[in-house]
Amino acid sequence: MDRDYLQDALHTFNGGNWYGWKKEDDNGNKIPNDQRMTYANIEVIKEGATIPSEADVNAKIQELKDAEQTAINKKASGKQKLLDLGLTEEEVTALIGA
Amino acid sequence: MAYIGSKPADKPVVASDLDPTIITGQTALATAPADTDEFLISDAGTLKRIDYSYIKTASAVVDLFRLSANATGDQNPISSNWERADTDGAGVIGTGMTESSGVFSFPSTGIWRIEFIGYFYYNGDNRGIASEIITTTDGSSFDRASSSGVFIQQTSSNNTYSGGYCTFIMDVTSTSTHKVKFRAGATSVVVVGATGDNTTHAVFTRLGDT
Repeated sequence: MDRDYLQDALHTFNGGNWYGWKKEDDNGNKIPNDQRMTYANIEVIKEGATIPSEADVNAKIQELKDAEQTAINKKASGKQKLLDLGLTEEEVTALIGA
Repeated sequence: MAYIGSKPADKPVVASDLDPTIITGQTALATAPADTDEFLISDAGTLKRIDYSYIKTASAVVDLFRLSANATGDQNPISSNWERADTDGAGVIGTGMTESSGVFSFPSTGIWRIEFIGYFYYNGDNRGIASEIITTTDGSSFDRASSSGVFIQQTSSNNTYSGGYCTFIMDVTSTSTHKVKFRAGATSVVVVGATGDNTTHAVFTRLGDT
């Protein structure tokens, strides 16, 4: 299941729960399914909220991805340290999972 | 006694004696029949009359609304970003539901089945994530009518997903007082919404008359 980084990033602005998606463009044409949930089609639904710049959103997305990768790396390095201490693969898996 | 035209045959009237204008020559009823309007029926060979109320079928209504964007935390109720499904060949039967600030109104009285599916993810552990159907029969006092709870135990140090389902059969005797709304989520949990497919969503089906 792919993580929706765009929505995760958007929720970090304006206190969260502030946006929706346009279903029609400015000319009243229906926006295709696969193009709705994009930065260009954000609409504000919360009073006082403002749309962050695309650069800020992209930076937040990268931050989330980096944090995710950092967590993966820490898990891998922690597992390696346990192995280096002499635990078997089975013992490490029993402790921290796959 | 004198007859004008042909003298009726001294025999039972049979099908071949009838002319279609017996029906087509009458004034058309341009609306649905009243419940006490009558039809002629052969009941195992005996002619009888029957009220329309016995043979009419309930007007079918099926509608589906979905959450169109993610919402974070306990959404009690889900008050924004509801939309009628309109992608991937989505369809509606009859006059559908109307929604305002998360409160749904019915288009007609009747027995209605309400189904709610909550879809969640969380980057951590949470032992109680709710999906609830909340109804009112007086237009103001809402009460939980149906619920389910799920938990998320984080897997692989990443966002972990779950979903809840609950259903309720509601006797909607008034469209002005009988309404429904939905609650989903828990602190910090993401209630998943999307506008290209159904994630968190509600289905409304009219099953019959009240």
